[in-house]
Amino acid sequence: MKIPRTKALALLAAITLGLPMTVQAQTQLVVAQSAEPVGLDAARNSLQASLNVALNIQETLFTPLENGNVGPGLADSWKFSDGTTLRVKLKPGLTFHNGEPIDAEAVKYSFERLLNPVLKSPHAGRMEQISSVKVIDPLTVEFKTNAPFAPILHLMSYYLTIVPPKATAATDPDAFNRKPIGAGPYVVESWQRGGDVVLKAFDKYWAGKPAYDRVIIRAIPEESARVAAFVTGEVDIVEGMSVQSQRVIEKSGKGVLTDSMGVMPYIGLNTNKPPFNDQRVRQAVNFGIDRASIKKALFNDRGLLTPGPISPRTFGADLSLKPYAYDVAKAKQLLSDAGFPNGFDTTLSYPTNMTQIQEQAQALAADLAKIGVRAKLQPLDRAIMFQKYKNREQDMYIYWWDDSPEPDRYMYSLFHSKSRDYYYKNADTDALLDKGRSTLDRDSREKIYNQIDRKLYQEAPWVFLYVIPETYAVSTKVSFNGRRDGIMYLRYAKPKN
Amino acid sequence: MLRYFLGRLGQTVLVLICISMVSFVFLRLTGDPAGLVLPQDATMDQMAAMRIQMGLDKALPMQYLQYLGHVLQGDLGRSIYSQEPVTGLIMERMPATMELAVVSMLAALAVAVPIGIVSALYRGTLMDNASMFFALVGISMPHFWLGIMLVMLFSVELGWLPTSGRGGWQHMILPATTLGLSLVALFARLVRSSMLEVLGQDYVRTARAKGASQLAVVGKHALRNALIPIVTVIGMQFGLLLGGTVIIETVFAWPGVGRLIVQAVMDRDYPVVQAAVMFLAAIFVLVNLVVDMLYIWLDPAISYHRGQA
Repeated sequence: MKIPRTKALALLAAITLGLPMTVQAQTQLVVAQSAEPVGLDAARNSLQASLNVALNIQETLFTPLENGNVGPGLADSWKFSDGTTLRVKLKPGLTFHNGEPIDAEAVKYSFERLLNPVLKSPHAGRMEQISSVKVIDPLTVEFKTNAPFAPILHLMSYYLTIVPPKATAATDPDAFNRKPIGAGPYVVESWQRGGDVVLKAFDKYWAGKPAYDRVIIRAIPEESARVAAFVTGEVDIVEGMSVQSQRVIEKSGKGVLTDSMGVMPYIGLNTNKPPFNDQRVRQAVNFGIDRASIKKALFNDRGLLTPGPISPRTFGADLSLKPYAYDVAKAKQLLSDAGFPNGFDTTLSYPTNMTQIQEQAQALAADLAKIGVRAKLQPLDRAIMFQKYKNREQDMYIYWWDDSPEPDRYMYSLFHSKSRDYYYKNADTDALLDKGRSTLDRDSREKIYNQIDRKLYQEAPWVFLYVIPETYAVSTKVSFNGRRDGIMYLRYAKPKN
Repeated sequence: MLRYFLGRLGQTVLVLICISMVSFVFLRLTGDPAGLVLPQDATMDQMAAMRIQMGLDKALPMQYLQYLGHVLQGDLGRSIYSQEPVTGLIMERMPATMELAVVSMLAALAVAVPIGIVSALYRGTLMDNASMFFALVGISMPHFWLGIMLVMLFSVELGWLPTSGRGGWQHMILPATTLGLSLVALFARLVRSSMLEVLGQDYVRTARAKGASQLAVVGKHALRNALIPIVTVIGMQFGLLLGGTVIIETVFAWPGVGRLIVQAVMDRDYPVVQAAVMFLAAIFVLVNLVVDMLYIWLDPAISYHRGQA
């Protein structure tokens, strides 16, 4: 009661005496996303728009770094005492937004909650490798994995958010999903579904109070409306922009562009049946694509060409590999050697929800036609696309993955036969991928992924294309950089001057 | 009257059941949501487990019957993503959508009725032609394009109004204008033709012959009769208006049911799409029912007793 009264007195004094108020103005940051969050509890949401908000409210043990490694978060230090035992030491004296202490019990509770089938957490599968969690002392937790599993720290740094046991247990999960309590840099002030998420800075955040006192996260689904809101200064950071919008923003002088997570499209080839069961045919289509020209024409030359399946920005990519050259004669020769001197007819399907996909598909098909591969375009709604993909109904298909900083994320998912074997299955690749995830030493790991990259480059189960960065526009008044993982960690945003 | 009402109510329920069936089947023909719900690094085993959890492994008719059974118990299901009851998700957004639809409708009527009357009274003059030209333009402009153009002009160039979102009355102007403009056009034309018809009637001539003033003739005799067809159209348009909010809400980031539907369709959140479609359909059907009842009140000549014309 004391503080409001003094404030009121100060206000009264200021008004009656005509003195300027000395209270410093609050700093506020407004962010526009293309989609609205479904919920704010990170444990229950996997969509980007939701995690972008949730991971500002909830905190994990480790801070994900741009190179795929992790730094300290709620955890102060950690160590693998053997291949399958990870000991984590928490920072002392930390509390959640509601004042509950952050201790080993809270970590154990959070992990068990995530795995509880009742919660239906989309991240439960990502924690599959952890068999148990033990409280050693109030600040020490021990995780056991089934087998040595290198990506575990990376996964935990995003998906194992630590929640306060008492408050969480006492709150209805749906209510918690609307207004979660965590240990992140921001506290939920209000959220009306469909409207703004309003966050305020958490004074006791372990890395210090964030620069902005208030953050508003707004969903503006229509791209031109998003750009308009940015140009008029209603919002400071905008996500989700086509090349055209990027030009509008650059011309307006109101902001700068910053790259975040890359989208890595590829053409998958059905290696189970002719014609793509022949490595020569697969290499031929790789030689037949003029990637550099497509990247220039469609993406304003932003982005990188990818030689093999691992993004050149990701640890493990073999940087000595050169992208397949654009060589029509060589492509035709290879097709002819494989018994297709006159080329062949095939189909190229793609989901319509990708960025600039129609233009890409047309450009790719045009290049393919020049070497005699006559691909009929099949644009599909994304759910139907996925169904056909799973049912092995496709010959050539365009899909994409984020160029995650951790190679296991997509390499295991897309090439290991235990994850999916729809169009490619290879026992040697499986063995290498298993070795890649079970080797804890980073240097040895890198060599394994180099080997996988080279092997798949040669086998060419995909037509390797490019990485196109997703782009944010950031107001000239704000300092903020997009991240490799694509998550908007707003604690890194600061006012300029 | 009561009998008619009950009959219509029965029809309404039947229509809703048909809609539920059609939307259920069509939604499920558009692909498997299990793979979309899980993160993209999910394995095949995890996906299979999810299909069972979501009940997608059962035959389609079984899935529908199960769904219908739940609906009859008042349970429209839970969102696949947020796992919250969809009724709550829709109801919390309904006020925003209704607000937009009602304001657009009232604003459109407030502008259209005078235009229509004036056009009818001064038929063939420059004023009439100008109004009808404006009406034609209003009908022809797609919402989507119009909305963006208005934002460009009033927000980006002039800086008078916010570009998007829901807040004070300023936020309401652009979306309501966009949504209402085509209605203005439609209603103005309708009021005009309806007025013209009424103005040619004997009773209007009689009133004039008796020396009633222009105001009295139009206000007392002509308008009420001229409005009967308008009421029907208002009912139908209100339903279409709710549909129109799907686009407007997306353009203007208006936090209503329309935008919920768009995002749910993108995410393949079946229960949400299904329930939202049912809600909008129910409103549409009920508004039409109410309009028919209003009709009777407005024009006692129309009656629903058996054996009478």
